Amino acid sequence: MHATDPASGFDLRVAALEAQLLDAQRDLAELRSRDALKTQFLSNISHDLRTPLTAIITHGEILREGMLGELSDKQLDSVNGIIAGGRQLLEMVSEILTYAKAAADRLRLSAAEFRMHDVLHEVRAINESVTSKRAITFDTMVEPEVPSTFADREKIIHVINNLVGNAIDFTPIGGRVWVHVRQCEDRGRDCTIVEVGDTGIGIAPEHFELIFQEFSQVDSSASRQHHGTGLGLTIARRLVELHGGRLWVESEIGAGSRFFFTIPTRVDGPATPAHC
Amino acid sequence: MAQRHLLIVDDSPLVTDALRVLCEASGYRVSVAATAADAVTRYVADPPSVMVLDLTLPDGSGLSVLDQLVERHHTPRTVVLTGHDDPAIRERCLARGCLAVLVKPVPVRELLAQVQSIETALP
Repeated sequence: MHATDPASGFDLRVAALEAQLLDAQRDLAELRSRDALKTQFLSNISHDLRTPLTAIITHGEILREGMLGELSDKQLDSVNGIIAGGRQLLEMVSEILTYAKAAADRLRLSAAEFRMHDVLHEVRAINESVTSKRAITFDTMVEPEVPSTFADREKIIHVINNLVGNAIDFTPIGGRVWVHVRQCEDRGRDCTIVEVGDTGIGIAPEHFELIFQEFSQVDSSASRQHHGTGLGLTIARRLVELHGGRLWVESEIGAGSRFFFTIPTRVDGPATPAHC
Repeated sequence: MAQRHLLIVDDSPLVTDALRVLCEASGYRVSVAATAADAVTRYVADPPSVMVLDLTLPDGSGLSVLDQLVERHHTPRTVVLTGHDDPAIRERCLARGCLAVLVKPVPVRELLAQVQSIETALP
């Protein structure tokens, strides 16, 4: 027997670590490549699904508008169901498409000046029929000091609509949902803070971050009633961060939830998150 | 009065069938093209009062149809009907002379209202 040379043992260890590093780098490259393929697949399939859905919805509307003859009330109910189902499916497909764009870093801001008051008016109109059907009180308020906002209007509407849609879905009949917009300041930077609250079932603190993770479902039975792709909040947070803001939740089981997001009053492009 | 004439350009038969039913039920004569080349040929042979144009076609962008028609001294009155809800695309189309940009699936009343308002403005 002879003693092992310590220097040669060290060299062997370094060589083994270098081999492991190479393996890990290969695995990482492989995973990235597969992830890019998955994202491209989601993007392609989402786009292709829109075409037949468009045809279904258009045919439904032609029938509903009576362009091919008057429908009976029962026929009208059935056609309305086809249109509503088609539109819901389309929203889910659009959500997947937006997610795929975000994952591929292809989301861009198209900033313009707008008033939050007008945005909330649009959000109210979109949700009016469902809040009225479920006897949910829907209040909106913009504090007078809130100036006009310079941001991507469509993306801000998407975020508020997503939060309001969740709030409505998880609030029992006769409950209350609200949107409150006010002004705040962070490190000398003017921000608008939007609060979307509800008197719904609430969220446990251990799930506060989980709900923002892609494809997550905190309570599968509750989520099943919602149209959920499991991407809505992931996308909403990504869109807010793209503006340089942040999105978070405060909640308690049984005591409702309040989602907050901030955006700098003037957005010039992707920026460092601001905290109010 | 001559029957109003629309040219619908889209490579999906599902979409063109739906739009054909819609527009014929509203009193239009409808022609359909599935490619950019076919759209140019049909437009030149029988110019429509309004062209409803998709942007993604198998042989090129829908905007290339406009370029080819302008080269042939036509002034197409165009409504773009696209699956892309993108302000940059909207701006590009309007800058190229399109009169409206609608995102699929557009409510049928909205599409008809756009087409009718363009026709009303015809000399």
